Amino acid sequence: MTWRGQPRRPPRGERPAGEHEVRGVAFRDLGGLDDPALDHGDRTGGPGGGRPPDDTDAADHSRRLTWPKLTVLPVIVFAVLFATWLWFQGADLDSIARNSIAGGNVWLRLRQHIVLTVVSTFFVLIIAIPLGILLTRRRVRRAAPVVMAVANIGQATPAIGLLALLVIWMGIGMRAALVGIVIYAVLPVLANTMAGLRAIDPTLVEAARGIGMSALGVLGRVELPLAVPLILAGVRTALVLNVGTATLAYFGGGGGLGDLIASGITNQRMSVLVLGSVLTVALALVVDWLASLAEILLRPRGLEGGG
Amino acid sequence: MSFWRYVGNRHDQLLADTYQHASAVFQCMVVATLIGVTIGVLTYRSEWAGDLAVTATATLLTIPSLALIGLLIPLTGLGVAPTVTALVLYGLLPIVRNAIVGLRGVDPSLVDAAKGIGMSRLARLFRVELPLAWPPILTGIRVATQMLMGIAAIAAYASGPGLGNEIFRGISSLGSANALNQVLAGTLGIVVLALLFDAAYVLIGRLTIPRGIRA
Repeated sequence: MTWRGQPRRPPRGERPAGEHEVRGVAFRDLGGLDDPALDHGDRTGGPGGGRPPDDTDAADHSRRLTWPKLTVLPVIVFAVLFATWLWFQGADLDSIARNSIAGGNVWLRLRQHIVLTVVSTFFVLIIAIPLGILLTRRRVRRAAPVVMAVANIGQATPAIGLLALLVIWMGIGMRAALVGIVIYAVLPVLANTMAGLRAIDPTLVEAARGIGMSALGVLGRVELPLAVPLILAGVRTALVLNVGTATLAYFGGGGGLGDLIASGITNQRMSVLVLGSVLTVALALVVDWLASLAEILLRPRGLEGGG
Repeated sequence: MSFWRYVGNRHDQLLADTYQHASAVFQCMVVATLIGVTIGVLTYRSEWAGDLAVTATATLLTIPSLALIGLLIPLTGLGVAPTVTALVLYGLLPIVRNAIVGLRGVDPSLVDAAKGIGMSRLARLFRVELPLAWPPILTGIRVATQMLMGIAAIAAYASGPGLGNEIFRGISSLGSANALNQVLAGTLGIVVLALLFDAAYVLIGRLTIPRGIRA
């Protein structure tokens, strides 16, 4: 019953971001049972079919680059991949299993998966971030609740159903898959961008206006630099979500590692199934790791104290 | 065939699928909540155990659901087993995270006060700490439920129960007259279920969050 483990706390009356006090009770801001904007994580993405978790803490990870952060994950991923490779070398493959990995199929699917992830992330960012900025401007701010309501319903749509509808509408192929992946990830990144821009201390914006900066100047020189960590978090969310949704691209004829997993399941070939799954997991972990490094390295120096 | 005629003709099958979908998600959420809050309670006091739990859950969340289901099939076979395992695992993640963050966010002076008036460790946990940490935990449960709705649809590919079967039936008969109806029925069914669950959580929140800490 020691209290040694208790994290340090700010003095009373001063709660860190994301907390407030009610009658002297330290309390986490309830992401609002009615406020969809707060329901999206800024760092973690959801798995393929899911939506990201809400972000309830911004400061539990130190933002420093440390050796464990640099080495642990790559070492684990490499060890798992090596073990899988060894096991696969010794596995007894029949013609069906050999067929599904023949002709460089594994590399092809891995490449497709990476292309799907990178291209879709690019589109997600160029759609979601400008839209998020636009929706926090004074003139269009009134449209924001409508957009968030639509986004909330959109989040309830299962990724696989959305993808199937797009395939029926646009035909089989990579295009439908890409559109589906992009639509699915735009909403969380958009919500994140808006939440972050709204969280900027209004006195800073006022001060900038007060010294005579134009609205555009305030946006470019005050708000956007302050929102950089948030935008980087959006990149990470989008990447992780898209690696997951891209596994479903197979069902729309879009290729990707889902091909190995699905053919492993339908043909009952466990070796192919495990190979596809392990590669997908490894890719997801590596992508998340790279994004986390980028988050640390690209964060503006002045913001290191917190988000 | 129009969509509504399709729904009318197949309502038995659709209702059965909807019921199975809702019941799978609901049961897995109950299990996940119990396990998740327990993990949170056991780990939040120790800095490293709590951080380890949060990091582990964040890492697990990055794993695509189809890949996790793929890794479970060699262990559990096809059908209900991998579905339930995957749903409970994913359901755990937001709950553990929010439980730890919520429990750590409780003002220590309140816990001290509870200690001072002679409450036992268990009484403090159940009458002070957990009620104060309940809103973030409930948010975690709500987020997890919406996530599980989509994952349960994907689990249908591994012969799991629920509305995902309707979607995959549509995908496998692409080009046929009913493909659109099947996919639409499955997708809309899941959207409606997700919104109904969400409304239920809002209601539960109104009923269970102590009046003193309602924002």
